[in-house]
Amino acid sequence: MTHGHRSGNRTVEVPGLARVEGEGALRVEIRDGAVTEVTLDIFEPPRFFEALLEGRRFDEAPDITARICGICPVAYQMSACRAMEDACAVTVSAPVAALRRLLYCGEWIQSHALHVYLLHAPDFLGCQDAVELAGIDRAAVERGLELKRTGNQLMQAVGGRAVHPVNVRVGGFYRAPDTAALRALAEPLRRARDAALRTVEWVAGFEFPDVEGDYRFVALTHPDHYPVDDGQVALPGGDAVSAAQFADIAVEEHVERSTALHARLEGRHPYLTGPLARYAHNSARLPELARQAAAAAGLGEVCRNPFQSIVVRAVELVFACDEALRLVEAYERFDPAADVVDAREGVGTGATEAPRGLLVHRYGIGADGVIRSARIMPPTSQNQLTIEEDLRRVVETGLDLSDEDLTWRCEQAVRNHDPCISCAAHFLDLTVVRS
Amino acid sequence: MTARVVVAAMGNEYRRDDGVGAAVVAAVAPLLDELRAPGFDATGVGPFGDPLDLLGPWDHATLAVVVDAVRTGAAPGTVVVVDLGGPGGSEAVDRRASSTHGLGVAGALRLARAVGRAPDRVVAVGIEGGDFGNGTGLSEAVDRAVGEAAARVLDLVRSVRPCA
Repeated sequence: MTHGHRSGNRTVEVPGLARVEGEGALRVEIRDGAVTEVTLDIFEPPRFFEALLEGRRFDEAPDITARICGICPVAYQMSACRAMEDACAVTVSAPVAALRRLLYCGEWIQSHALHVYLLHAPDFLGCQDAVELAGIDRAAVERGLELKRTGNQLMQAVGGRAVHPVNVRVGGFYRAPDTAALRALAEPLRRARDAALRTVEWVAGFEFPDVEGDYRFVALTHPDHYPVDDGQVALPGGDAVSAAQFADIAVEEHVERSTALHARLEGRHPYLTGPLARYAHNSARLPELARQAAAAAGLGEVCRNPFQSIVVRAVELVFACDEALRLVEAYERFDPAADVVDAREGVGTGATEAPRGLLVHRYGIGADGVIRSARIMPPTSQNQLTIEEDLRRVVETGLDLSDEDLTWRCEQAVRNHDPCISCAAHFLDLTVVRS
Repeated sequence: MTARVVVAAMGNEYRRDDGVGAAVVAAVAPLLDELRAPGFDATGVGPFGDPLDLLGPWDHATLAVVVDAVRTGAAPGTVVVVDLGGPGGSEAVDRRASSTHGLGVAGALRLARAVGRAPDRVVAVGIEGGDFGNGTGLSEAVDRAVGEAAARVLDLVRSVRPCA
């Protein structure tokens, strides 16, 4: 819904921002042609998952936290497992680590295909939603659904279920899949990789607003491969720290208008996690096929245009399909499927890359294995202040747009970061006030 | 030609009454096994948190029954049955985004129709929830309604089963 006019005092309101999850409001004020205020007002009820975890056993955390989000349950499971294993001083075996990475690739494929095709692409093609997009380009939507289905297949085969996998436990898995069952995924993954390459070509042809952000990128980084569930946390400027050190310097604060916490580095600087950050810190470690696709799409080593995050996501789709294919071809069933993890008193931190950004878990557990404290930093909470900065930039460079076009651009700017409000506890209506 | 019925649970067992879809599908699953016959297949699937995951399991089914908790203001445990129509179905289906990342069951059905993969008929069986707080286990009224909802699901399944 849009009110107002293009000059003088005016108000633009969007009561509901589609294609993001949760409840909240976005408010933009423009006075005398200058943007004076951009705020995300988040009023979805807080979910109290951290309190729910206190008093539960340490090995329940992966399954409980997986329920925070139906889109990225693996991310929650993996960060929880890593945190608990950190607390108990356990490093899992190479086969467990590889199978975890494979499961995580399934989630990336599933989530990125959903976002690129069904949530984000309609913005660039003037469609209200994926249904309208199917009306003008059914083949594209079919391709997206097929990619998502391949991700689901992978989740099903490794995790036991396509949504909220049940096979993950602290130390590994309840059961390692049969070798043949995973090898059978090779052919679907080859087709998915081809579809992902076509995806990069498709989205690279979209028109992108000429906007660049001065982002402080934060992402996992690893010397040997593109990061998914391991490595250190790379900070703006290039230094890397452990997940535990990062949890110390990423300070969260409560803001009255929001039920989500807002994170700042060392209490001062907003930062950005997610595909743009991962790509900026790790583009050189993409496999050759994904690097070539990125280059052909016109991406440099770093991409600072938030609207082009759809291209980076598509490149990551190529990576995830290619990596999953490599892993299923190398897979041999192993037993036992999990390493023994004995509880011991301590604090552990785990950080992994959810499709939409860095997800950090920290737990304190007692010698009896009971969780004494829990802290979860979802990517959307970490990104909120940067999304506000993005919106300010988008509004400032789009003041001559009609209210309707500006509203569309703002919604698109939020979706650039694929926010998951249920994860953040949190999100979205849009109000633009021009005066 | 085989008639195929898919009974799909939606929801989250860790949000109390939102787990009622899973409870109903668990209750009917053994009976679906008994109803299977040459030319007739019936399967329970889910629970799904993302309605888009209905695409695939329900493609081209003769009947898809989607079971989920609802919140309409009725007394907890009230069972409602809503026919969402077939491939060309009613456009009265809510177009608003309502669920995970933008597509609810209605949106998933519209998308399935747009790509030619919709079931012949989709019926939603809703059970009014009372407690959507964190945790497992249904509230008493909703737990009592599982039997009635399961009976309504089975009536729908039998309605498309060819006579033995």
